[in-house]
Amino acid sequence: MLEPQFESALAHRATPENLSISMREITERGMIDLRGLATDKKFMAAVKSVLGFDLPKAPRTSSTWGDLKALWLSPDQWLILCTRSKTAALLAELNSALGKIHSLAVDVSDMRSIIRLDGEGVRETLMKGSSLDLISDDYKAGTVRRMRFAEIAALLHVVEDNVIDLYVFRSYAEYSWAFLLKAARKGSEVKLFKK
Amino acid sequence: MLVVTCPVCDASGDETDFHYGGQAHVKRPATTDPVNITDEEQRDYLFIRHNPKGLHFERWRCDRGCGKWFHAARDTMTLEFKATYGITELPPVELMKEAKGPWAEFFKKRLKEKA
Amino acid sequence: MSKNPYRLSNGGARIDRARKVTFSFDGKDVSGFAGDTLASAVLASGQKVFGRSFKYHRPRGLVGLGSEEMNALIGVGEGNKHEPNLRATQIEIFEGLSAESQNRWPSLKYDIGAINSKFSRFIPAGFYYKTFMWPKSFWKHVYEPFIRKAAGLGKAPEGRDPDTYEHMHIHADVIIVGGGIAGLAAAEAAASTGVKVLLCDENPVLGGIADLTAGMIDGECVVDYADAAALRLAALPNVHILTRTTVVGHYHHNYLMAFERVGDHDPAILASGAPKHRLWKIRANKVVVATGALERPIAFANNDRPNIILASAVRGMIGRYGVTPGSTGVVFTNNDDAYLTAFALKNAGVNVRVVDSRARADGALVKRAMADGIDVQLSSVISAVEGTLGVTAVKIAAYRKGQGRVITEKKVDCDFIAMSGGWNPALHIWCHNGGKIQFDDGLQSFRPKSHTDNIVAIGAANGTMSVEATLLEAQGLAKKAKKFKVEEPVRGALESLWFAPATGKYNEGNKHFIDFQNDVTAADLELAQREGYESIEHTKRYTTFGMATDQGKTSNLNGLGVLSEATGKTIPEIGVTTFRPPYTPYSFGSIAGALTGELFLPVRRTPIFKWHTDHGAVFEPVGQWRRSYTYPQASEDKHQAINREILCVRNKVGMLDASTLGKIEIKGPDAAEFLDRMYTNTFSTLKVGKCRYGLMMNELGFLTDDGVTVRLADDHFLMHTTSGGADRISAWLEEWLQTEWTQYKVFVTPVTEQWAQFAVAGPHARDVLSKLVPDFDISNEAFQHMSFKQGHLGGTPVRVFRISFSGELSYEVATPANFGQGLWNALMEAGDEFGLSAYGTEALHVLRAEKGYIVVGDESDGTVTPIDVGMEGMVSKKKADFIGKRSLEQSFLKSPNRKQLVGLLTEDPTEVLPDGAYAVAVVKDKPPMEMIGQVTSSYMSPTLGRSIAMALIQNGRARMGEVISFPLEGGKVMKATITDTVFYDKEGGRLHA
Repeated sequence: MLEPQFESALAHRATPENLSISMREITERGMIDLRGLATDKKFMAAVKSVLGFDLPKAPRTSSTWGDLKALWLSPDQWLILCTRSKTAALLAELNSALGKIHSLAVDVSDMRSIIRLDGEGVRETLMKGSSLDLISDDYKAGTVRRMRFAEIAALLHVVEDNVIDLYVFRSYAEYSWAFLLKAARKGSEVKLFKK
Repeated sequence: MLVVTCPVCDASGDETDFHYGGQAHVKRPATTDPVNITDEEQRDYLFIRHNPKGLHFERWRCDRGCGKWFHAARDTMTLEFKATYGITELPPVELMKEAKGPWAEFFKKRLKEKA
Repeated sequence: MSKNPYRLSNGGARIDRARKVTFSFDGKDVSGFAGDTLASAVLASGQKVFGRSFKYHRPRGLVGLGSEEMNALIGVGEGNKHEPNLRATQIEIFEGLSAESQNRWPSLKYDIGAINSKFSRFIPAGFYYKTFMWPKSFWKHVYEPFIRKAAGLGKAPEGRDPDTYEHMHIHADVIIVGGGIAGLAAAEAAASTGVKVLLCDENPVLGGIADLTAGMIDGECVVDYADAAALRLAALPNVHILTRTTVVGHYHHNYLMAFERVGDHDPAILASGAPKHRLWKIRANKVVVATGALERPIAFANNDRPNIILASAVRGMIGRYGVTPGSTGVVFTNNDDAYLTAFALKNAGVNVRVVDSRARADGALVKRAMADGIDVQLSSVISAVEGTLGVTAVKIAAYRKGQGRVITEKKVDCDFIAMSGGWNPALHIWCHNGGKIQFDDGLQSFRPKSHTDNIVAIGAANGTMSVEATLLEAQGLAKKAKKFKVEEPVRGALESLWFAPATGKYNEGNKHFIDFQNDVTAADLELAQREGYESIEHTKRYTTFGMATDQGKTSNLNGLGVLSEATGKTIPEIGVTTFRPPYTPYSFGSIAGALTGELFLPVRRTPIFKWHTDHGAVFEPVGQWRRSYTYPQASEDKHQAINREILCVRNKVGMLDASTLGKIEIKGPDAAEFLDRMYTNTFSTLKVGKCRYGLMMNELGFLTDDGVTVRLADDHFLMHTTSGGADRISAWLEEWLQTEWTQYKVFVTPVTEQWAQFAVAGPHARDVLSKLVPDFDISNEAFQHMSFKQGHLGGTPVRVFRISFSGELSYEVATPANFGQGLWNALMEAGDEFGLSAYGTEALHVLRAEKGYIVVGDESDGTVTPIDVGMEGMVSKKKADFIGKRSLEQSFLKSPNRKQLVGLLTEDPTEVLPDGAYAVAVVKDKPPMEMIGQVTSSYMSPTLGRSIAMALIQNGRARMGEVISFPLEGGKVMKATITDTVFYDKEGGRLHA
């Protein structure tokens, strides 16, 4: 056997039924955790030379270029999203462009599980487990926020108005999935300030 | 459940999204002079803390957010956050002046240095 | 006679007479109408007794109209759906509802516990404390079971609750607590400014007691105004309305908790998938307390008899449900408001008279009553009540304020009493987070004074009893105040009446109940006072006054009034007890929310979790992880399985899922220097590609973590931490970088979950790896102990560390988590011919104990230094500073009298010392004995064929060969010899094989 066998955290979970929104695991995405100083012009330039766009500097924002995305995590940390099969090559390119520049780029494609939530009511569904005001204007498409979700740490990426990707550490994937199955159950919808 | 706002990333959230890190501006003697530290100095560094009724200065971390540490000036009676400021910074001058008791003593020297 | 003799032939704004609803109460069918509460439907049927009281088991009826009801507590639903202690006044009936009264046996009419009432002279305030004191053994076997059976309210449901519950968060600019006239007007005012408004009300219908309030607003009667306002608000996009939702608590920074009864009133809602209850967690910029006021009862003799009801509740029963408590009533009051009840009764054709304690009462309503021909007796009180399961007559006596006992009484037949002692602003929400209150002479009650939060009280909650003034206060929420034209009756002054005298004082044959729910009488309070309980908080605890679900809603002021008269102090001098959340009880289900069953606690699963489950693993929790403890096969017990796994590692080869180990990447020009600060030993001297075991202390000099760190490149390290320490240590590193050594150029990225990691350990470990054709040299020479390789194994990308926690030839193989299961399977297959089998954490622990390796958290407990565990050699003498160094230099941490880690061999090799057993200096018959240490790890070693243990023993290293004693439970004493901690392969040859 010379081919690595791929098995995601939620591979054994059946497609959910009887939900008010749709949810599925995204497995085809690669992730690179990139550390560097936003104030370091050389770092920013080197990264841009590889990605083709500037890393977002504003807190909780993201940038997109083709199939690449950069999510702001901290003034010195970003999560770069790419096609899973291209991750190793992208990481090598980044490391070669960064050279001796103070930075740390790590392939973390398997560290988190991504759950794609889609449909009207995704925000309210998440608000059953998050104290953030996800229906407010602070959470427009493109927004990224780390948060406490149910009883675990999670990262939220608003992809479109009604599409949200929830990133959780892989070991908590089953817990998050089970929580969402309960929260998104048909008949339990809550509409906030909507007529 | 307090609401905390991180001065680094400007995110507000419940205190459970943050981590409380005890009293601010505690100096670690070993960092500057690891050799000549008396037992008393080490004791004070490890254990002696202020417990004011009113204005207090604390360390917090944006635990679930940007991960950065910061300082906060908080009233322990009303629980109001008077200011947040960088983890390597001193509080705003007016708060250093407002501080009472051991904090007033602590900031007296810093205020002189600033003046 | 009709089945519902007390249902009036018309009226009842809340009920739909076209829709009949049948339900069961105490096993009997009762019929009502859609819109009825259980209280109104049962009262209509003629039943007056709803329950028995807590202590004396006195028959009790309805008192209130809503959440203030303290007597009529009902159990609803059966079996695992049962919910106890619901207020009959809040239970909305539906077809098939099954309810039962509580705290009675065998029936409401005949209750054996009522004998307590006969002995009530012997059950005064504090009787638990006085009576059940001795003998001690009686408490457990006699007193407690008796008290538990006799007292207490409803019974707990049986079995697992099949319903679902959830939490929900919401943010609003303004939250309005209470949807009465004040709340509705405030919501409209606030909404007009465009901000987000959340309006919560505990009732199914907005409007509060608008329907029980006299007056006209802009030409509409008050209730029509309220209904219209509710409709306007429902149409606004910036207003969110929650009905059947009680705001139960107000907390710091305007955080509020509200309890929504989503599906209690309609089984169809539950069936559709909705939760039974929802707990709202609310954050608001501004809180508006519009919680209204609660009518207070009057303390008169036997004022707890069934069918003695608050005047407003009687008015509500007639107006909302078309139900009257009886055919002849007496309104007993000290204020004008209750006259509205007299009018309502008269209009409904019920005989009514008014007994008013005031000498002077000349308000508009009093005059109107007199003009209408209602018999109004001023300067009078009810001095006695006749009847037990209801009211048959009252005695009316002349009264002047302050009079201690009455002289002459006149008996009047009646079958119910409507009482009103005035109104108390509902201050609970105002007070939960420290709001200050003040006594108001006009109300003879407390009202809000000041608050440090952004919170206001308006309307009756603020002590503002007129409609016009209430609407005016609500306009404070608007940018531009709206004007209203209000007509309402002018009220005369109230006169406090804290104790309506009888022919005797206090407990002389009569009971003046203050706290109905806790069976506290005026006499109890007076007794507490005489016994020296001067503080109101002490009186509360001694008498149980104002406790439990009532939280002083109806009892508080009357109690203070009695104490005021008993002591001659003013009410403000006596003070109030603390109002604590919740305002009304809310269900355990709602508190748990969705976090039940598999969500009770977050469980972390490794990439191999399913394989472990499929292969019969027994799991153990390690932090939130579930790790395989052992894998018992067909006929094995756990012990046999563990022994097999250990011997497999020692003799063949075993594989452990070590994915939970903490992994942190550390990179930067100052990374090596930084690690030298963090670890007790030195990492700047570590060569690239090599591994080193490190110890970490906290600043106190105590062990906090350990693990192997590998140098990936000159400026790049990969640190391993304990499984439990992964998050803590990465946060710890960040903290020092951000707060102390800010000049260091170092980045720290935790990568624990990126990797699945397995230990392949045993004499055949290399053979197993070789079978998967590594693309790197794994010969003993090329890949030595404590070194690192990166490459592929069976085509899968891997990082391999030759490190060992078992003392055997061992490799830790890491691969990206999603390849983990594939690689695990491949290794299992490759190892088959060498007898490879999976081993769990217990085998791991025995293997390491045989080698004397410590586990931070077993051998250390947060007060143990590296010197204590015999690792002084790993504490650098050369480094100027590292975390914990200075503390470790304190003389008492170097004392030889500290406990030191040693090995133990029991006298009887077949006996295993209990974990944690204490060693003593001298064994005595019974404690106390001088304790000299304790066992930290103890196992039966299959490798050595005998038991082994490690222990922390005072001055242990100087006591090698000494036999020490461990007294155990039951008088047994085990003896063991102190030895070195390494029991197996002391030379360590197997590691390098």
